[in-house]
Order: sequence, then structure tokens, then C-alpha cells
Amino acid sequence: MMAKLSRDKMLSVLPSLLIILIAVVLISIILLATGANPILFFMNLFKGSFGTKRGLINTISKAVPICLSAFAVALANKVGVFNIGVEGQLVFGALGSAIAGIYLQELPAIIHVPLALFGGILFGMLYAYLPTWMYIKQQANLMVVFIMMNNLAKLFSTFVIIALIQDPASMVTASQPIQKSAYLPMIMTSPGKLNISVFILIAVAILIYVFFYKTVYGYEMTACGVNGEAADYSGINTRKYIKWALILGGALAGLAGAIEVQGTYFKLYDGFSPGYGFDGIPIALLSNNNPLFMMVGSLLFAALRVGSNTTQIEQGISGEIVTVIQGILVTLIACEYFIRYIAKRSMTRKKGRRMTI
Amino acid sequence: MEYAVEMRGITMQFPAVRANDNVDFSVLKGEIHALVGENGAGKSTLMNILYGLYSPTAGEVYVNGRKTEFHSALDAIQAGIGMVHQHFMLIPRMTVAENVVLGAEPRKNRLYDRKQAGKEVEQLSAQYDFSLPARAIVRDISLGMQQRVEIAKALYRKADIIILDEPTAVLTPQEIDELGNMLQQLKSIGKTIIIITHKMKEIMDFSDRITVLRAGKKVITVNTEETDANQITEYMVGREVHLGQGRKSYSQEEVMLEFQNVSYQDKVKNVSFKLKKGEILGIAGIDNSGQKEITELAAGILTPDSGKIIHNGMEVKIYSAKEIKESGTGFVPQDRHRHGLVLGMSVEDNLLLGYQRLAEFRNKKVFLNRKAVSDNAIDKIKNYDIRPTDRTVLTGKLSGGNQQKVVVARESSRAKRMIIADQPSRGVDIGATELIYQIFSDACKKGESVLLSSLELDEILAVTDRIMVVAEGWVTGIVDSSKTTRTEIGMMMVNSASKQEVAE
Amino acid sequence: MSKVILLTLTVSLLRLTVPIMTMALGNMFCERAGIMNLGAEGMMIAGAFGAVVGTYFTGNPWLGVLTAVLCSMIVSGIHSLISVEFGGIQNISGLGLNMLSAGLTSFLCRSIFNTGITPSVASIQTAGFFKNIPVIGHFLSQFSPLAYISVVVIFVSWFIMSKTVLGMHIVAVGDDPKAAETAGINVWRLRHFCVTVLCGALAGLAGAYLSIGQLSFFMEDMTAGKGMLAVIAVKMGRWNTKYVVAMALLFGFFDALQAQLQINNVLHIAPELIQTIPYLAGIITMLLSSRSKDNPRALRVPYVKNKYKI
Repeated sequence: MMAKLSRDKMLSVLPSLLIILIAVVLISIILLATGANPILFFMNLFKGSFGTKRGLINTISKAVPICLSAFAVALANKVGVFNIGVEGQLVFGALGSAIAGIYLQELPAIIHVPLALFGGILFGMLYAYLPTWMYIKQQANLMVVFIMMNNLAKLFSTFVIIALIQDPASMVTASQPIQKSAYLPMIMTSPGKLNISVFILIAVAILIYVFFYKTVYGYEMTACGVNGEAADYSGINTRKYIKWALILGGALAGLAGAIEVQGTYFKLYDGFSPGYGFDGIPIALLSNNNPLFMMVGSLLFAALRVGSNTTQIEQGISGEIVTVIQGILVTLIACEYFIRYIAKRSMTRKKGRRMTI
Repeated sequence: MEYAVEMRGITMQFPAVRANDNVDFSVLKGEIHALVGENGAGKSTLMNILYGLYSPTAGEVYVNGRKTEFHSALDAIQAGIGMVHQHFMLIPRMTVAENVVLGAEPRKNRLYDRKQAGKEVEQLSAQYDFSLPARAIVRDISLGMQQRVEIAKALYRKADIIILDEPTAVLTPQEIDELGNMLQQLKSIGKTIIIITHKMKEIMDFSDRITVLRAGKKVITVNTEETDANQITEYMVGREVHLGQGRKSYSQEEVMLEFQNVSYQDKVKNVSFKLKKGEILGIAGIDNSGQKEITELAAGILTPDSGKIIHNGMEVKIYSAKEIKESGTGFVPQDRHRHGLVLGMSVEDNLLLGYQRLAEFRNKKVFLNRKAVSDNAIDKIKNYDIRPTDRTVLTGKLSGGNQQKVVVARESSRAKRMIIADQPSRGVDIGATELIYQIFSDACKKGESVLLSSLELDEILAVTDRIMVVAEGWVTGIVDSSKTTRTEIGMMMVNSASKQEVAE
Repeated sequence: MSKVILLTLTVSLLRLTVPIMTMALGNMFCERAGIMNLGAEGMMIAGAFGAVVGTYFTGNPWLGVLTAVLCSMIVSGIHSLISVEFGGIQNISGLGLNMLSAGLTSFLCRSIFNTGITPSVASIQTAGFFKNIPVIGHFLSQFSPLAYISVVVIFVSWFIMSKTVLGMHIVAVGDDPKAAETAGINVWRLRHFCVTVLCGALAGLAGAYLSIGQLSFFMEDMTAGKGMLAVIAVKMGRWNTKYVVAMALLFGFFDALQAQLQINNVLHIAPELIQTIPYLAGIITMLLSSRSKDNPRALRVPYVKNKYKI
């Protein structure tokens, strides 16, 4: 029984590890094709993200919005839908937080900080609402709507910055700075900047863990995601779960955006997100919705982002490589069935089991 | 005496299951050969190999004396083999003619010659007396007609060997007789016919010889005239089977469930009946006559367009699967894979499905009491003989029979008043089927009622107290099981024009 | 509205519809065969980049078109491998290929040319061929030859779907692959053909038009949602050539409107808001439509070869 348990566990983790391995190989090939040294690339990534104290803190800090995005994607994935609109919800949430941060004045920090965070959450939820409604009421293709919404969020956010809240003194397109009372409290400023968002993240992670694995609702969500029809027939209200999974996903994404505004940039920069929302997608899918794995995955992705600065400086490799990695991972995830088939074939071959019906 | 088909030493190994184990199967030219066995015996797999859909792990196939190796259905078709599948392989949006010629369309100057296709189909139809409406859209024609289109497909491709996989599941008794006549007609012009079935009547009526498969292995091949139904059953199952024998009736007068003039879309039309306490009421009819919808209406999955449904004296106002389940009604749905089980979850979790909100499984309201869940699973696995006995195994790995046992175990053990079961024996081996009907009988003894829908007329006659026959959504008769006959029920299955007769 | 603006708008409309329409037709074949293709953007941008790279290194824009088709077919080939051969999740494959293709084209662009925009290359924006025809010659010559090829593609697509056996088989494969297989049709080969060749080639044509048919360079993310609009057009057009083209024209109109407003900002709206017009059009169109019964019944359902079954 013990051997069987660990074998099943291995079988479930194996496809994800295989995918990561294949991705590493493919990236190396691409780098070689453009004349870059892949080994050096990975070393630089490591150096830039974990090699220095400052880099490490930066990496941890960056992992927060990425992880929240992954949670948002995982929430939807748990009930069987794909929330790929996280990027748009994140950007829109950042907008909400910025507006609350800039225009609400004369408030003590103890009120302003949570209020502005809530602004982000609210905007994120609102932004997830329309696609959710279209999906549930009209069976519209959720992924298509989300992709359109992502594009719209970017354009709308730029518009609002330029037209309404621009900082005339700034060299780049950005909003006015937010009030100091909305700044997220810092844990440390040197060797690197770290704010309390880490605690927020851990709290959310614990909540999600308990919710998914220990509650009745987690069980129902799992049933919903694996076989929604059977869940329906058994009396579980799948539509409600789907609706809330998507909207709360928007909330988490909005929170991530708010954290960036209130904790990292202290204003809303146009295009501040290099694609955190998209990072969440492969992380959630490869982690099988497990919060612990997602935290690890987010650290790795954050390392990628932080480290890619180093690789750009040292090797001249464009930062776009991160998007390429995203794409490779997601594409490979699509073959998961087949990869599981290969994994299973190689594992059962050793035992040669046969069962008659 | 030549062999049309010879399959020697066929073994088909799937990753988890050996569907055929060293099977030898031979069919003489010009005979009608029945390939029989209960669900899961490997009959369909063997024929799928013959038709080129699967490549066998081991063994050889000879067609008309020549060794062949099929890599696709096209190879089999070109060797003169045609197959009529259990679930029709027709494209509903296309016409009859387009379907018949699919894959071998007549062309004119590289273009699809639709006119010629229509002409050729009409010729074929006349030749075999099928009366096919060449220009009709397939989704608009009857199931019996659709089957004839399927057979026409095989004949159009000039098949000499025709395989029919469970051809009578969707036919009325009269249509089954017509099919028998057609098979004789085809035999008389030299065609070889292999018919896969598990229905005793067809096996004995239609075939010249019978081959029995059991658990992937071949048991025996006999001449039909030299054997009888009981013996074949014994070969199929390995022991004697007495379904519903020695049944006692526990029927009482009190009414558990009542339908009053219930209608739903065009599937259920003005249906009224009463389900008494302690009785097993069977619903008989050809496939898709509204049985599924009636069971789902009773279980609260569907909401009627008009009419009243009364559970235990109280009219249902809000249709919700959850509420009706909580009121003590268990439901075994028709499609257990889609609706009854979550195959990706463990057996333990599936034994909980739908009942997770009960107090016994909850800990401080929100948390799931895992110990209670596993105790529940251990208990059910033992009492309902579910195999394998490991409660953490993924349900998708269980056999059809054991999967159904999981559903029945879950629903019948929690039901306090009524069990609704839609085709509980479909795809289930006879051992599990016996167990399931025994469970229903025990439930009646305890004062519960069972509403049972099945396409297997023999089973319904054997295990129910009364039978309600439906045709095209109408109830055409409610009769006492012990007092009716196959013929009488067969006539009611097609006679939708008659008014409902209620026999109390 | 003045006649000049009306004419410019029409020309603009016809010009901007071409990529959406061509891609939509490619997607139509893909979906008709049962494979959902959300990776349209990725295929198009691969084509756009390929066209410029091909033209840059050979100097001949027609060779650039060839390179474009090849690049798009690589992307569609991967999609086909995953969706058809491996039975993978089609929507994720499409999404992943979008990300990968966008990222890779940006990355390669920067690696080769050191910026996000390539230098100008030879292009085929006009069809001088027609100049000599009286009266309409001048008008006709304003369009790229690629646009005319696209028009031919419309008729060929219509022809294939309604008059040929191939079209019949495509419908069969998309509705019920099992029925097609038992009738002797090679489901996978046909699906591979539709996705890799038909969809890929048309995506390449669409992409090439974007970079060297309308302009003369490649810019990161230059597809700007046109691929998605193509996806929407196929569904709104009920997988029927005529209606798909009509829907593409509709989206082309909004795209043209958006482009025109950016030049003559008569309404004085912020440029970013103007750019949202096509996306809003897409979403509103989806809002207004209801579930279709015409869809290929096996769409998005992977049909796995028997040998791959677990």
C-alpha cells in the first residue's frame, strides 16, 4: 500500500517534471540558434536571482504578484474552467488601487492601505464579471472573451493614465504618485525591498490550502472540475462554483495588481506588468492546483524575471525570452495526456501487469 | 465448406486489460454466426480487430482463405467486410444517400456527383427492398430506418461478410423479426453474417452456429440446433443464472411517487402513473422513448413543462436534484460515466458523491471528516462486493460492473424511500446484475420503492411487479408483470396512438 | 460624409479585411474538421515575421511570402501534432502557441535586428499589374496582389466545401470522427491536412499580407487581435464560407474605422480608446449571438488513435 501510494504520487508529478525538462532543452536549442550560451544563460539567471542577497529579496518580492495570479488561475482550474484573463484583471485591479491611492486623501495608513487594496480587489472582480456572465448565460467561448478583455485592459489603462491621472513631471507614461498613506508597510529596505505582501500571500496560500483540501467545498469543487456533469447530477451547484471561482480569481488578480502599485512602484506605470498574469497560467497548470507547488513555481518564475535582467546585460539576451518560456510550457502542458501516456507506459512496462475484466 | 473468416490465436492486450486471450474464431461462408458473451467478454473487441480498427497484439486473421493484416477500416472494407455498429455511425446533418456513400462517393470530373449518389442509393434500396428515402436528412428518420441505412452502407461497399454489433438494442420486437427476415434474405444471396449479441432470443432464432466468449477467452463453438438457451447462458456465465426467480412481491397500497399529466418538451407527453410503496415498477420501451427523461424528472434533474410530480404526498414545487436526494430518493443514472461517477476520483470519494453535506461527514460545518468518509467506503466495499477492495483506487480503473456497484451501493444505501434506476444492467456482467437486482428486492422488503427503466425485456419481466410501457413519450400501458407476455409488451412499445390504459 | 472619405474608408475596409478574412477561412477549415484553433494570432505573427525575414535575406518579396507560409505551417504543424496526433487540449495548445509565437518572433526580431521593429524591406503593397486597365485600373492597383489571392481563396474555399468530396469528408470528420473512420476515411490524415496545410498556409498568407502586403516591415505584436477576430468570425459565421466572409468584413469595417479615426480624429477621442474599437466589436458580437446548433459536433473533442489509448 505504501509503495502504491508513492507510485501514484510519482505518476502525478512526473508529467510536470518531464515538461519542465523538455522546456529547458528547447530553450537551450533556441539560445544556441541565436548564438548564446545556454549554460551561461542558466547560470546568469541563477546569479541574478539567487546569487546575491539583494537579488534573492527581489525575487521573493516579485514572486508575490506572480503567485497570486497563479492562485487565480488555479481557482478556476479547480472547477474545470480556464481563467486566462488574469492579466487583464491584474491591470484593471492596479487601476482601481491607484485611483484609491491617489485620490483618497487625509486618511490614516491603517485605513488607506486596506481600502486601496480593496479597490484593487473590487476592480479585479468587476473585470472578471462580464466574461463570467457571458460564459454562464450564453455559453460564449470564455478563453476568447478573456483574451479580448486582456487587450482592452491594457488600452483602457493607458487611456486613463494619459487622460486622467497622468504625472506631468514623469518622463515615462505614469500616473501621479499615490499618497504615502497608501504605501504598503515595508519589512526591510536593504539589502532589498520587501513589504508585507509576503505575509498577505502566505495567508492566502494557507486559506486556499485549507479550502481545497480540508473542506466540503473543496471536495465539491474537485468533483466539479473533474466531471462537472456528474457533480450536477449529484446535486452540487456547479454553476455557482464556476461563477465564484472566476470572480474570486479576478479578486486575487486585482489584489496582485494593487500590491504592485502600493508596494513596488507607488504609482501606476503604463505597462508595469511584464505579464505576471500569464506567468500564473503554466504555474497553476503544472502544479495541479497545489498551493505549495505554486509558491515554488512562482519563485522560479520570479527568478526568471529578475535573472533575465542579468542575462540581458551579460549576454545581450532579450527579456522576451521569458515569454518564450511561458509559451513553451503552456504548449507542452497541452500535450499532458500524451505525456502521461508515455510516463505510464514506461512505468507499467516494468511490471507488465495484466488484469482481465 | 469454406471459411469466410478465420481468426487464430487472437490476443488483444490493452495497457490495463487483456480483452481477448488467444481466441480462435471461424465463420463458414454463407452462415449466420452468433458471437455471444456477457458484457465485457471481448466480443466487440474481436470484431473491431476483424474490421481493422484495432491491431491485435498477437494472432492471425484469414479472410476467404487469405492471410490479411488490416491497418484501417478501409483495408477491411476493401476485403469485403462491412460492420454495422451498435451506436450508429451516421452523420445526422447529412442525407441518407450522403451517408450511405460516405467514403466511396461517386465522382464526376473530380467533383462530388451527388445526383449519381442518390440514384445508386435508390437502386440499392430497391434491390434489397429497404425503401430508403435517399434525400431525407438522417436526423429526421426513425432508428429502425437508420439501422437500415447502416446496413445499406455495408452493402454499398459490396461487403460479403457483414458484422452486426448488438443490432437489436434499439428495435421493437416486431422490428427485430423484420431484421431476422432481412438476415435470412442476405444469407440466401450468399452473404456471411456475424451477429454480436447477448440476447438469448436472437441467438437462438437467428443463428446457425454460436461461439461463446467469456472473460476474453473462447469457451466453445456449437451448432445452434444442438443446444438451448439455458446451456448457452451457462457457457456465457459459467454457472446457472436465475434472475428474479422465486421473487416475492412486497407491494403495498401506499403511493410513494405520483406523476400527474407530466409533460417535458417532446420527450414526455402527458404521463401519469403511481409508484407504490414496496414495489418495483419497470419502464419498458424502445430506446429513447422518454424513459430517461421520466427517471430524471422523478429525480429532480429536469423540471417538467406541465403537470405535477408528487413525492410521498407532497407536490414538488422546486425541482432540484439536491432536495429530492435529501428527501430520501436515490438515483442511478443511465450514463454512469458521465453522470453517476467522477472517474478521476477515488472509489472512496465516489461513494460519497452527492452526500458530502450530510452531518456525519462534516466536522464543524465546513471541514470534511475524512475518517467518516473512509469508514463509509470500507463499509460499502465490503457489503456490496466491490472489487478491487482498495478504496483509494481511481474509479476509472474499475470494470463496468464494479463501477455500477459503486453507484448502486451509494444510492441504495442512502435512499430511504425510493430508488430510481435507469438501465442499471447496461454494460454490466451478470454477476453484478444479479447483485443489483437483489439489492432492489431487499429495498422493497424494507418498504422502499424502485422505479426501474431497462431495455432488456427479459430482465424487466423477471424482476418487476408491474411494467409501464412507453412509446414516443406516451404511456401506452401499465400491466402486471406476472400476467403479461413479450408480445403484448412489444405491441405496446410501438402503439403510441392508443390511449393510456392503467391496470391497477 | 464626403465622397473622398467614403472612398478612403472603403479602400481601407477592403484592405484591412483581408488578413482577418484569410485567417478566418483557414480557421474555418480547421474547426470544420473538429479542431479548435485559438492559436490563430500565433500563426499569423509567425507568418508576418517569416515574410519579412525571407524578404530581407533574399530581396524578393514573393520568396518572403513563401517563407511566411512555411513559418506559419510550422506553428500550425505543432498545433496539429498536439491536437490531432496526441489528442491534447486544443485550447491550451492554441493559447500556448500564441504566447510562444509572439514571444519567439519578438525575441528573434530583437536578436537579429536589435530592436522590436525590423528595417524596411521590399514589399508588395500594390498591384501595378492592373494600372493599365481603363477606368478602374487605378482603383484596382491600389491593392496588394496578396489581397487578390485572398479573393481567389474565398472562391476556392466555397468550392471545396460545397462541391467536392474533400469538403464532405471534412464535415464528416468534424461531426463524427468515429463514423468517418468506420467508413474508411483516414481521420487523422485529413485533420492534419486541414490544420497544418490549409489553416497554416492561409495563416501564412494573412501574416505575410500584414507585414509586406500592407506595410513593409515587421513590428512586434502587429497582429493586434486580428487572429482572435478571425476565430470569432468563424463561429459567428456558422462555419459557412459566405457568412464567415461577411463577418470578417464586419470586423474589417471596425478595424478600418479605427485606423481612419487615428488619422482624422474628427471625434477627438483618445487614441487608445480608438484602438479598443475592434476588441469591443468582437465582444459585442459575441454578446449578441446565441448558441449555435450548426457547430461541428466533435469540435474540441480529441479523437485519439486506438494505439494511444490509456
